[in-house]
Order: sequence, then structure tokens, then C-alpha cells
Amino acid sequence: MNELGSRFLRILEENLIFVSLIAIVVFFSLISESFLSLTTLSTLLNQLPALTVVAIGMTLVLISGGIDLSVGSVVALSAGVIGAGIAILGLPLPLAACLGILAGALVGFANGSLGAYLRLPIFIVTLGMLEVSRGLAYLVTDSQTVYIGAPIQSFAVPWGGSGVSASILVALTLVVVFEVMLKNTIFGRQIVAVGSNESAAEVSGIDPRRIRCTVLVLSGLLAGLGGLMNAAYLGSADPNAGIGLELSAIAAAVIGGTSLMGGRGSVVGAFVGVLIVSVLQIGLAQIGITEPTKRVITGAVIILAVIIDRWRAG
Amino acid sequence: MTRDARDHLRFVANEISKSFATPVLHDVDLEVSAGHLHGLVGENGAGKSTLAKIIVGLESADSGSLYLDGQPYRPTNTADSLRAGVAICAQELSLVDDLSIAENILLNTTASPLMRIRRKRADERAASLLSLVGLEHLTPRTLVGRLSLAEKQLVEIAKTLATEAKLLILDEPTSALTVPQAEVLHGILRDRVRDGITVVYISHRLGDVLNVCDRVSVLRDGEVRLTEDCVELSEGALIREMAGVDADFNAPPRPTVKSAPLHLTVAGLRTSKLPNPISFDCKRGEILGVAGLAGSGRTELLNAIFGLDKRIGGSVKIHGESGTVETRNPWQSIKNGIGLVTEDRAKDGIFRDQALAFNVTIAGLGRISDRSGRLIRRREVGAVARLSEALRVRSTGAYQKMRELSGGNQQKSMLARWLHCESQLLLLDEPTRGVDVTAKLAIHTELVRLRDSGITVIAVSSELEELQSLCDRIIVLSNRVLVAEFQRSNWSQREILEAAFSEYDREYEPPSSAVT
Repeated sequence: MNELGSRFLRILEENLIFVSLIAIVVFFSLISESFLSLTTLSTLLNQLPALTVVAIGMTLVLISGGIDLSVGSVVALSAGVIGAGIAILGLPLPLAACLGILAGALVGFANGSLGAYLRLPIFIVTLGMLEVSRGLAYLVTDSQTVYIGAPIQSFAVPWGGSGVSASILVALTLVVVFEVMLKNTIFGRQIVAVGSNESAAEVSGIDPRRIRCTVLVLSGLLAGLGGLMNAAYLGSADPNAGIGLELSAIAAAVIGGTSLMGGRGSVVGAFVGVLIVSVLQIGLAQIGITEPTKRVITGAVIILAVIIDRWRAG
Repeated sequence: MTRDARDHLRFVANEISKSFATPVLHDVDLEVSAGHLHGLVGENGAGKSTLAKIIVGLESADSGSLYLDGQPYRPTNTADSLRAGVAICAQELSLVDDLSIAENILLNTTASPLMRIRRKRADERAASLLSLVGLEHLTPRTLVGRLSLAEKQLVEIAKTLATEAKLLILDEPTSALTVPQAEVLHGILRDRVRDGITVVYISHRLGDVLNVCDRVSVLRDGEVRLTEDCVELSEGALIREMAGVDADFNAPPRPTVKSAPLHLTVAGLRTSKLPNPISFDCKRGEILGVAGLAGSGRTELLNAIFGLDKRIGGSVKIHGESGTVETRNPWQSIKNGIGLVTEDRAKDGIFRDQALAFNVTIAGLGRISDRSGRLIRRREVGAVARLSEALRVRSTGAYQKMRELSGGNQQKSMLARWLHCESQLLLLDEPTRGVDVTAKLAIHTELVRLRDSGITVIAVSSELEELQSLCDRIIVLSNRVLVAEFQRSNWSQREILEAAFSEYDREYEPPSSAVT
């Protein structure tokens, strides 16, 4: 009995993050009758894609031992470029979408060049780019929300009654692709190596600057895609989109077991982290918790996740 | 000091047991007399460092009791043990790189944290401690981050001496030191003991332990197997107790390298840390030793060959079957069959939080993946199993975390990393630093076996005996100048040492050109 109990506990502990997600869902469905409903699900599915793709990029950057604070603003910049491209320049949607994602990648490249090759502190570089990108987002949209319209929304609108949209499918596919890349490819190993011990990585023939720069470009690119998803969901480009999104992405990654010190983490974990953060937000709103209290609770959950992670790591 | 005072027991450990994942210490009894230098030896993993950490409260024992001067003593941290008069110089250096030498030495005092730092007095005190440990050429305001490993170790020792504790625990204090530096330390320890201080001295250098200590205890598998006066003991006897086997210290004589093809040419190599051009070459299947005092540029030479430090002149050429290739950076070096095992394993060798398999395969991931870059687990596990078997790396499996392996096994896995890449030229910086006698012999045997299979080795070591038993040829660096070369048939320890010291006496002369 005792042995069975301890085995049960071990299984619980190894899958703690999934268990927590289920516990949160069960908790909200018990105290709020309207929680287990299609409305909740569609709210969740609408919010999910942008945060998910941004969190993927953030996870890779954190594992490499860096951080990317610019992603929230890059979402707005990308959305702005897409909106302005379509509404003002009259570009076709695919071209505008590519330009938006490219803008994100360029910000990532700037982060990577300055942080990895010029060896400036990446925290400060990406903090600077947070401001730069936000400013650029206001400039391209002339500080107004730019209406784009129906074509772009087809990307975010669920097919039939399934609740699944192209956005969600893309986000889920990317979670799987990047998890496989991280765990099962040479490049993934090299990211972990650089985050785990940069000097040892260099002695092993890995160029840490190249790896750091590449993950920052990827993070910018994914944030650019997040901008497309955001614009598709809203049907317009909002220069105020994605404020504070970098913090949600970091929170999701950390809840999912990614170390802020680098060298450890998982993309699937970050996705479950995204689910936990989102479900918590929606559930708390539904049971009538006010915005300020919601923020207090969300913050406490993030800290709790780090405490649990530290305790498990020993 | 009267005989009585000497005979009283300063420190007693009574049935100390400690387990982490597995038992490390098992009912350890240890009695250390006041005013004694007490040696503690044993293989890696025998429990020496754990016992040392328990004595100063860095670890707590699962059971058993400690006594200091007859009183029960149970420290829960190093501040506790310092107040009780017990200080440790731990194997892992505890210095802060961004503080000066003087500030680092001050960190370890029991003074109130609010007390104003009297900079001038601190500097004076640090200066006197520095000259005591033979570092009088450094000023107390020097940042510790700028020091070499040997200098850091001496500062760490000075920091311990500054505490004026009555019981000093020194864990491998000479691992990065040269022989003369170690002798200075031993002189200091003998002086301290004469003043009534008690010292527990943990070391792999058995000759030192027998020369310096009054008594010695041997730990094996977490138990004290023997405590005796050093005059009664020999190195052979200690090794027998430590390992349970009769280990042979000296490698057998062997014929010198025949007319093998050239493997490496280093021509006029210069980096910012090696301002004098260095030229030498190396034949295939040769073990070339690099001797010199700590700080003579030995590590810098290996880093320069490998391409870690930016070159400001000269070239490194690898001669292979398909012609001659010039290598400029670590990536090209590895591609052309060079592997580097660095001196400081923890700093730039291992990935401690990653698995053994990760550590072994990281430099040769192309060998365990398909053409698209996807890793093939089966190949990875197979490669790690094969190399672990060949090098006798003890682990619970390919996916055990590196930090859970003993120092000797970590070191062997560093070698495995390059064998996995099928490297043809191994640059080894202190390949047996901080590993126990058995692991050391295993590494030596493996290196000779590699040499016989045609692999070239360039090895740096502070232990001349190690180089002499291992190498076919030895080159000597002195004050960053290549000063001499000796063949296995015609070297003597005296001549090598003379060469190693030669450039330090002529500091004001222009740098002489390299001798090859």
C-alpha cells in the first residue's frame, strides 16, 4: 500500500504540470457552472495562438541562456506592418503577411547582432528594442488602429463548428515541430549546450554567438507570426497589441519548466504553461475576480511554479 | 608546547554516516590530535570531501557526532564553524572574481557585516598574507578574476590562513600548484603546526602527504581503513589500502617513436597571451609533454593550437593523408581531428546539468544523426555504451546526469568526447588533475594505448613524474617562452626544472626566440 502510494506520488510529481492544469480546470468547473462551456473554449482558442508562438520563441531564447523582452512590441509592429501594407499600400494579404513576419525577424536579427556579436547585455538590448519596436508600430499605423477586414480574419475564424482555426493549427504544429527540433536535432542540442555552459560549448566546436543570434532571430520571427495571428483575430492592426505579452510568455515558459539560467526547458512544457496562464485568466474572470486581483493571483502562480521547480530539481 | 598539550584530541568524529543517493560515509571514526598535521587520503568518491564538508557545516551528517576539544560540536554553516575556530579551504574555489584579493580575504572573517572596511589595514594584511604564500608580486587590489588558477588557489589558502582558526581543513590545496609552490605551502603548514594549529590535509599527492603529515588516515568506500603515523608508511602501503590493489606508479620503459610521419606543425604561433612566437612539431603517434611552472603559458599554448584564443601571428598545420590543412578556430580544429580537454573541467569542460550521453556526443553530433540533422537515439546510446566500456566510465547509464558522476569518471568522459569524434590529436591540459590514483593509472594506460594505435597526444602536467612516465618527448615553457626540448632517452628532472625556471631570472632582457 505504502509502495503503491509512493509510486502514485512519483507519477504525480513527474507530470506535475499536466496535473496542475487538470486541477485548475476541475477547480473552475466546480465553482462556476458556466466554465465548462463552448464560450469558454472559444475564448481560450482565440487567445491561444499568438501567445503560444511567442512562448515557443521565448523558450528557445531562455534555454540558450538569453532573454527577449521585445516580443510583445514586435507583435504590434508586425500587425502594424500587415495592416498598413493592406489598408494603406493596398498590398495583397500574403505579401503583407510575409512583410510583417520579416519585420519581426529583422528585430530579432538586431537583437542577435547587438547581443551575441557585440556582446552587449541581452536584457538591455531587448529592452531597448521593446521601445524601438513599439515606436515603429505607432509610426507605421499612425498611432491608430488600422482596419483590415474579412480576408485576414479567415485565418482566425474556426472552421464550421469545430472551434479549430488555421491559427490554432499552425500554433500546435509549431509546438510539435520546435519540440522535436529542440530534443532531437543537432541544432537543439547546440542551443542547450550554449545555455548550459557557453565556454564548454565553444571548446566542443560550437560557435555560441551564432546559436544565440539564431534563436533571437527565430524568436523575432515567431513574434512576427504572433502579430499576424493577433491581426487575424481582431480583423485590424492595433498598435497597442501585445503590451506585457513578453511577461506572459516568460511566465508560460517558466511554469513549463524552463530555467531562466539556461540549459533546460521544453516547448511542450511552455505550451502547457500557456494553457495554465490562459485558463487561469478566463476562469478567474468568470468567477468574478477583478482585474487587479487577477494579476496578484497570476503573479503568485508564477512564483509558486518556480518554487516547485527549484524543490524538484533539489 | 608540551607533550601533553600535543596529545589532547582537538577533533573527534564519532560514527559519522552520510548518504546522498547512495551511502557516502559509513560509521566514520576519526581522531585528530592537537598540533598535528593529519593527512586524509582515498580514492575519488571515498568520502574525503564529504567528511571535510561535514566538519565545517557545509553538509550535515545523517548520524554520529562531532567533538571539538572534547565539547560536542554541531555546525550548521561555515559561519558557525568559523566561530568555533574551524576553517576550510575547499576543493572548489570560493573566491569572488569581481572583488580584489584583499576584499576576498576579508570576506572570510567573523567580523560584523556592518563594520566599516578599513581599506588600508585590509590591504596591509592581505599583502602580508600574499607574501606568506609566495605571491608577493601581486598587489592586494588586484581583481581575483585576473589571476591564474594556481594564484587563485594560493589566495584561497591565504584566505583560510587569515581566519586564524585552530583547526584548518585543506581539501586538495595543491592540485593546481607547481612543486615549488606546494613546498612553500608545506613550509607554512609546518610553521602553523609548530604554533599549535591543527591541520587536516586532504590530497591525492601521496608523496606530499607522507612528507608533510604526522599521521594519515585512509578512507575507502566511506570507511576509515587505516590511521597510522606517517613514518610507518610507504606510498605503496597507502595505495594498497586505498584501492585494495597493488598499483604500479611507474609506466614501463618503451621504445621511442620511430620515423613516423609529421602530424602537426606549429610555426611562429603568437596570441595576446603568448607574445613570443612558438614553433615546434609533432610526429604521428607521439606523446609530447609540455612542462613549465604554473603560469608559464602551458594552458595558453594548448588554447592557441586549438584556436580558442585569437591568433596574432603564426600558423597551425595538420598533416593528414589528404594533404596539409591550416586550422584557425575550434570548429576547424575538431573537423581536422584535434580535441582539447581543458584544465578546469567545471568551467569549460563538462555540461554538469546534462546527461553523460550529451557530454560525450556534443562535439560529434554529426556521428549520431542522419543527414537532415536528426539525432538517432539508438546510435547515441550505442556510442556512449561502447566508449564507457572502453574507458571504464562508471555510471548508471547513458542518461545519468554528469554532476552525479565522480571527478575521475567526468574526466574519462571528457576523453570519451574526443574518442567519439575519432580525434587524431589530443591536447590534454592536466589530464589527471584532481582524480584519484586508480583513475589516473587508467587514464595513463589509455593514453599509451591510444598512442600505440597512432593517436598523437600533447599533454600539459604540473607533475613532472607524470610527464616523464608518459611522454616520448618533453618541451619546456618558461615565462611564456619555449626554452628547451628533451627526448625520453636523455632527460633528467633536474635539467627540465632548470629549463622551467630559466626565463624568470632575465625579465629585463628582450624575449629570446623559441628553441626547437
